Amino acid sequence: MKGGRGGRWSWPVRVASVLVAAGLWQVLTATDARLWLRFDRLPTLDEIAAEAARQLATPVYVLDLLQSLIRILTGFGLATVAGVAAGVALGRSARTRDVLLPLLEVVRPIPAIALVPVAILLFPTDEQGIVFITFVAAFFPIAVSTRHAVRALPTLFEDAVRTLGGARRHVLWHVVLPGILPGVFGGLSVGIGVAWICVISAEMISGEFGVGYRTWQAYTLVDYPAVIVGMATIGLLGWLTSAAVELVGRRITRWLPRGERTTT
Amino acid sequence: MTTLVRAEQEQTGLGFTLERVSLGYGRDLVVQEIDLRVVPGEVLVVVGASGSGKSTLLRALAGLLTPVSGRILAGDADVAGTSGERAMVFQDDGLLPWRSVRRNIELPLRIRKVGRRERAAAAHAWIERVGLNEAEDKLPRELSGGMRQRVQLARALVASPRAVLMDEPFGALDAQTRAQMQRVLLDVLRDTRATVVFVTHDVDEALLLADRVAVLGGHGVRTVLDVRGTADRASLRDRILKEL
Ligand SMILES: Nc1ncnc2c1ncn2[C@@H]1O[C@H](COP(=O)(O)OP(=O)(O)O)[C@@H](O)[C@H]1O
Ligand SMILES: [Mg+2]
Repeated sequence: MKGGRGGRWSWPVRVASVLVAAGLWQVLTATDARLWLRFDRLPTLDEIAAEAARQLATPVYVLDLLQSLIRILTGFGLATVAGVAAGVALGRSARTRDVLLPLLEVVRPIPAIALVPVAILLFPTDEQGIVFITFVAAFFPIAVSTRHAVRALPTLFEDAVRTLGGARRHVLWHVVLPGILPGVFGGLSVGIGVAWICVISAEMISGEFGVGYRTWQAYTLVDYPAVIVGMATIGLLGWLTSAAVELVGRRITRWLPRGERTTT
Repeated sequence: MTTLVRAEQEQTGLGFTLERVSLGYGRDLVVQEIDLRVVPGEVLVVVGASGSGKSTLLRALAGLLTPVSGRILAGDADVAGTSGERAMVFQDDGLLPWRSVRRNIELPLRIRKVGRRERAAAAHAWIERVGLNEAEDKLPRELSGGMRQRVQLARALVASPRAVLMDEPFGALDAQTRAQMQRVLLDVLRDTRATVVFVTHDVDEALLLADRVAVLGGHGVRTVLDVRGTADRASLRDRILKEL
């Protein structure tokens, strides 16, 4: 396998790597290390753990978490549907390319987070604005990967289905959609990552709930252990959702030859 | 199942008529103003050197390529786009890699909205017929080249098309597997009335399978030879080789 896997030492090494990083954190913060970076103002592991235990017992923590999850799943879900549809249309129809491509190419370089002012003006509630920003962020990687996947699809498959009596819709359903899945999932992986960046940033700027809002609030209240708990929560959520995307992607593309499947 | 078998019996082969047909890509013409008749129900083998336009001709018959000029008739209608009446078999990799053997073979029936059970029964019958019993649920990448071509053959014929267009279907196989597949093909073709246009660059394969052989070269059809009516294979073989 390309890149090589550590074999049976893979998991021990991964766990050890996390433990070493945590240990280093503990040493630096417990000794109030002031090298050039200043660790004296950051909380130690036991302070963080105590704060995490306290928060896990409160409904606010769970509600924030659910709020952020709902936002990201809504934005990301809409972006998946719209991104795949746009990517397929752009890949297969010259007319769609003429109409949409110039618009998309102008909007694409704008970081989604820069749309916050427009989102606030555009939508009646902050909630919709945050979902919109998440949607925009995830939309582009998904649409771009889908378009490339459509164009990379061998025409032979389409020829085969057409000479077996298939019409356009059969080609779309039996060739294009299954054939682009590996590429689409590449886009979804990137998309879920940027979606998290944007949902958290948007919450920090204009939220009233959510993990991002709570983390920023903790900072303004000088509650540093809570800041770290918030960060860790964001990290874990991001990791879990990415892993879910990867897992679904791998199950759905079992037909790929081994070398082309993703491994983690 | 019974309805499919009856349909197959009632089905007659599709003839083709090419009138002053020129084919090409952009400015480059591959064949110029050819005239050719494919008789309903016959096996016409097209031979020619690599690059002589065999695939191009076949794609035009399938409706995948529009002639630059001239007319192609299938039966007595102009060929305009593809049709399930004219199924195509490709050299390799024509199977959908995400569908199992059985689901690849069922595809033409699925497209025709044949019900699940009838579809499964028809596919199963073909799987037995081409000798793929063990491989029913395998993916194309798990099959040998010969097995993949068995699947393509079954998939092309399962919905009883009136013509089968085969583009060097055994060209990528080793000699032994190729001989095996030629026997499978002859066996399968005995029970169908479909017209077959079979492309190869192997003269012996042509003589084995053909009712007639058309030799392609120099931007046109060099000659068409009757194989069934001729006992002297050796001289026929020499004549084809000389034209190539
Ligand atoms: N899609 C294409 N675009 C441009 N030229 C092509 C294309 N396909 C084939 N050709 C050219 O047409 C000629 C005939 O090709 P082809 O029909 O594939 O020959 P054969 O099947 O007899 O080997 C070749 O010169 C080839 O380069
Ligand atoms: Mg060819």
